[in-house]
Amino acid sequence: MQITGQLTLTVLMGLFLVIIAAWLARIEDWRSYTPLGSGGAAGESGYVSQEKPTGISRWLTTVDHKDIGMLYGAYGVLAFVVGGLMIMVMRVELLDPGMTLISNSFYNSLLTSHGITMLFLFGTPIIAAFANYLVPLLIGADDMAFPRINAIAFWLLPPGALLIWAGFFPLGDIIPAQTAWTLYTPLSTGAGGGNQANAGVDLMILGLHLTGVSATMGSINFIATIITERAEEVTWANLDIFSWTILTQSGLILFAFPLLGSALLMLLLDRNLGTSFFAIEAGGTMLWQHLFWFFGHPEVYILVLPPMGIVSYVLPRFAGRRLFGFKFVVYSTLAIGVLSFGVWAHHMFATGMDPRLRASFMAVSMAIAIPSAVKTFNWITTLWNGKVRLTTPMLFCVGFVSNFILGGVTGVFLASIPVDLVLHDTYYVVGHFHYVVMGAIAFAGFAGLYYWFPMFTGRMYQRRLGKIHFWTWMIGSNITFLAMIVLGYGGMPRRYATYLPKFATFHQLATLGALLMFVGGLVWTYNFVVSWLEGPRVQDGDPWNLRDDGMYTNEWQWFQDRQETAITDGGDEDVVADGGTEE
Amino acid sequence: MATKVFDRDTLLDLTVNFIPLFILLFFLVGYFVYNPFKLGSTERILQYMLLATPFVLLAILTYLSGKAIASTEKSSPVYMPGAATVDGAEPIEDEHEE
Ligand code: HEM
Ligand SMILES: [Cu+2]
Repeated sequence: MQITGQLTLTVLMGLFLVIIAAWLARIEDWRSYTPLGSGGAAGESGYVSQEKPTGISRWLTTVDHKDIGMLYGAYGVLAFVVGGLMIMVMRVELLDPGMTLISNSFYNSLLTSHGITMLFLFGTPIIAAFANYLVPLLIGADDMAFPRINAIAFWLLPPGALLIWAGFFPLGDIIPAQTAWTLYTPLSTGAGGGNQANAGVDLMILGLHLTGVSATMGSINFIATIITERAEEVTWANLDIFSWTILTQSGLILFAFPLLGSALLMLLLDRNLGTSFFAIEAGGTMLWQHLFWFFGHPEVYILVLPPMGIVSYVLPRFAGRRLFGFKFVVYSTLAIGVLSFGVWAHHMFATGMDPRLRASFMAVSMAIAIPSAVKTFNWITTLWNGKVRLTTPMLFCVGFVSNFILGGVTGVFLASIPVDLVLHDTYYVVGHFHYVVMGAIAFAGFAGLYYWFPMFTGRMYQRRLGKIHFWTWMIGSNITFLAMIVLGYGGMPRRYATYLPKFATFHQLATLGALLMFVGGLVWTYNFVVSWLEGPRVQDGDPWNLRDDGMYTNEWQWFQDRQETAITDGGDEDVVADGGTEE
Repeated sequence: MATKVFDRDTLLDLTVNFIPLFILLFFLVGYFVYNPFKLGSTERILQYMLLATPFVLLAILTYLSGKAIASTEKSSPVYMPGAATVDGAEPIEDEHEE
């Protein structure tokens, strides 16, 4: 029964891909068109022809890094909204101790999907959005090293999302996975009397696999681009910090994601073909955790390094001075990259593993806290005596620093074995990583979105609404995640739809904070949509007045050149091969 | 040239990675001196591998990146990071004075 369902789906998906391939092959000149409406970048590659496809086919066929960046951005933001709405349902359910609004198993499904959506469909893609758009501009490259691989990497993501969410669609017997994002065996092998042998779990695993392939292709592209495509003036000594973090992150992806892919395939084999990699008797439960976390811990740094890069890049612009100890930040980024592969079992302290191994993992986890702390001190020192301008992107940067301190410090506590044995699997852990993933990573994402909004859209957002967005999120996230830390100290276990009445107050506080962020999210959506459509046009290439402080950078120079080209050319015509930057 | 690449300023920049290296070394020595878990020896070897591998890899990467940055600094003009292709960009004077 389930097998037939699965087969039909596979065949359908295959057919769908064949149709797309056939259709793409019919378009003769699909690599040639002008990027964006108003003319080309400095030294735009020679392929540019007179015409570009318009409307939807432009977006379906684009291989321009900026267009692909926009696609990634739209995708990431959409996933963020989906994941956010999922959590709103869950937080409302958690307003009272019992099971009221939704069933416990639906809660578990939402929990699983929320985690995977936020990490794999929002986190990684939104970073790829910034990286695709900006890295070639920052390093003076024409485009990515492999523009078509870039496009393929993106187009693997939408089917990935459909597969991951497949359980929620009305597809016969298929139900959503309830394994949590960590997919611990034996639950995820479908063993026992539960319902996790359902094809919905297989589809989710396949979707995860696709997103992993996508991330790996992207990372190879970034490594090749940053190493080989730099303009002559851009040397290792003056490569910007964002590109450094993308380079490091890509290295981490290259080593971590293929491992996840293999582990997922083993899981699929166990589920469908009767292999026994993760058989309980053979210690398969521990094997899965080792494989998963060897990917999983680097993954958290894959997610946090580029946002750190964004903050290290944007924050000095509004402090009116260069990043303090620039090279400290570069070297500590690289150090985090290496060390992040040596700490994975701090997620497994409570499993009963050998205490000597545990001790080593604790030591490396302590060591990795140093480079993170170094960066924090550098950001603070950059602000010290700076000419601080509290624009919206700057507010988000400062919020990032504040939240990252709380997330990092709680992380160091958890890295201590005796503390972790008490707090493991409580809301304390949930509080810890949400301070980092929401308080820091998402905040840096917003800092970037506001900072480069004029470049992405050619228009300015409404500053007042931006600030309202910031304050609702700063206050909301701290209410929610501080309440979670307190709940964790009280012993509230994570991943439950119901709880003892004594936890009610802090759960309600957490929901209050989430509602505040929901309101802020509406303000943000309104602001971005309306400003994109009818905000005031940006008149020059320096909307943040960076030149006054000598903080002007490559990507704005490109933007200015493009604007000037647009004025002289009237936009839609041939691209001038050299838009003004010296070769 | 090879010796001059790692001058005082470069070494100072690299201290940031010497600290985690030192912490790893501290635990390597510490677990050798103090070993309360007298069990089999495979785990003991693994315990050291888990500390030694990151130590070695971090040392190598720190060396390589330090060399790449410091030697380009000497061979070509250094602009403000991220601002090398700005119109009329001037090399920044003294990298080591912030
Ligand atoms: C910098 C970005 C960081 C991110 C994105 C992050 C993310 C996470 C995530 C997602 C988890 C939950 C894993 C699960 O499902 O159980 C977690 C747990 C943990 N984090 Fe972090 N973390 C970060 C920093 C740190 C730091 C700096 C440390 C310590 C030095 C740390 C130590 C831990 C520990 C020990 C746990 C396991 C707690 C437990 O399950 O009992 N984290 N972190
Ligand atoms: Cu971890």
